[in-house]
Amino acid sequence: MDFKDYYAVLGVSESASPEEIKKAYRKLARKYHPDVSKEANADDKFKDVGEAYEVLKDPEKRAEYDELKKYGARKDGSFERPSGWQSASGFGDGGYTEADAGQFSDFFEEIFGGGRRAGAGPGFGGGFGSQRRSNRMRGEDVHAKLPLFLEEAIKGCEKQVTFNVQEPDANGRLVSRQKTLKVKIPAGMKEGQHIRLKGQGAPGIGGSANGDLFIEVEYAPHPLFTVEGQDILVTVPIAPWEAAIGASVTVPTVGSKVNVKVPKGSSSGSKLRLKGKGLPGKHPGDQIVILQVAMPERHSEEAQELYKQLAEAEKEFNPRSRLHV
Amino acid sequence: MTDNDRILSVEMMEPSATFTLREVCERGDCHAEFVIKLVNYGVIAPVEETPEERQWRFDLQTLARLRKAQRLQRDLKMNLPGLAMSLELLDEVQEMRREVDRLNRQLQQFLGQT
Repeated sequence: MDFKDYYAVLGVSESASPEEIKKAYRKLARKYHPDVSKEANADDKFKDVGEAYEVLKDPEKRAEYDELKKYGARKDGSFERPSGWQSASGFGDGGYTEADAGQFSDFFEEIFGGGRRAGAGPGFGGGFGSQRRSNRMRGEDVHAKLPLFLEEAIKGCEKQVTFNVQEPDANGRLVSRQKTLKVKIPAGMKEGQHIRLKGQGAPGIGGSANGDLFIEVEYAPHPLFTVEGQDILVTVPIAPWEAAIGASVTVPTVGSKVNVKVPKGSSSGSKLRLKGKGLPGKHPGDQIVILQVAMPERHSEEAQELYKQLAEAEKEFNPRSRLHV
Repeated sequence: MTDNDRILSVEMMEPSATFTLREVCERGDCHAEFVIKLVNYGVIAPVEETPEERQWRFDLQTLARLRKAQRLQRDLKMNLPGLAMSLELLDEVQEMRREVDRLNRQLQQFLGQT
């Protein structure tokens, strides 16, 4: 087991005052709160910070931890509980704390969790964390996010969803279990829409109903399309002469393609609207084609000659007129 | 953990499900007063704001938002005005992150970098 340096987690020195510890904790809790932070592992960091504070804010636990840090930590960063070690301030029978101790690390459990393993009281004391108030209660709802590709969201699909639920083990202690479900997603899901799977959340305790699983749909980044409200946007490159004299070009739509007439005199950034080719629904959106004039990587001598003629014929045109130079 | 990968086939149901105040409290494990206060501060809103609280219905998005409000209050010890403002700012941040992502992708497509 790795030794956890709670001081390093909070970024304070070993001689930090209780005020410094509290301040550091508050700052980091705000920074890593999973509802606030966009960092991928904010959840773990937030838990680490909470665990570190749980120990360091309590003078008794902090003293015990300091002792262990001195004698239990090995040079290679690993840790073994010294034999005969017994925490006096643990979360054992009746040791009430605001924190959800069930969320803490094995390392924490090894030091302060003695009473829990010895068998906590029925529903009270150690194991139940924040849910210890009642021994009959509805299972917790689980909220999960599900990224879908545009094609999948529009057509509907079958998706595997993996999430964690808290459920009591044989000893009544809440443990996190990974659950995987295959879910049939109906056609036409919008970003931010939720769906519910009844009874697929955490199991109820003492014969109460299971919680539900709520899934929020997100759109995964698509290589071709972006979505703006009900509209689907796609950038389509065209040749300079197609922009100049107009052309019929093939553009991709979600799951298919259509022919589009590029009007004469188009330019980079010109938009074409394909009615009803956006997201389906009561008020279906449009597909917006954004034209982008693309140059060939190199020109033949003949083309260069033609460009010279063009330059001569279009002498009046100043592409930099709005730069006032 | 032996049955980590239990796979069930489930049909989606009720995308437009709503919940009464009572159901919301049961699910969120919170007091009705807390929910009513959140409504009064404009943090969340019932589908239709009737004067009779017992007739309130909340949709799924609101339920998720209530949970978020609960977590923030519990973890960061926020009071209601602070909570209301934080959630609004978080919404704004999320909206802007989405917008930036979208514009970045559009720009990359426009520059032909995909």
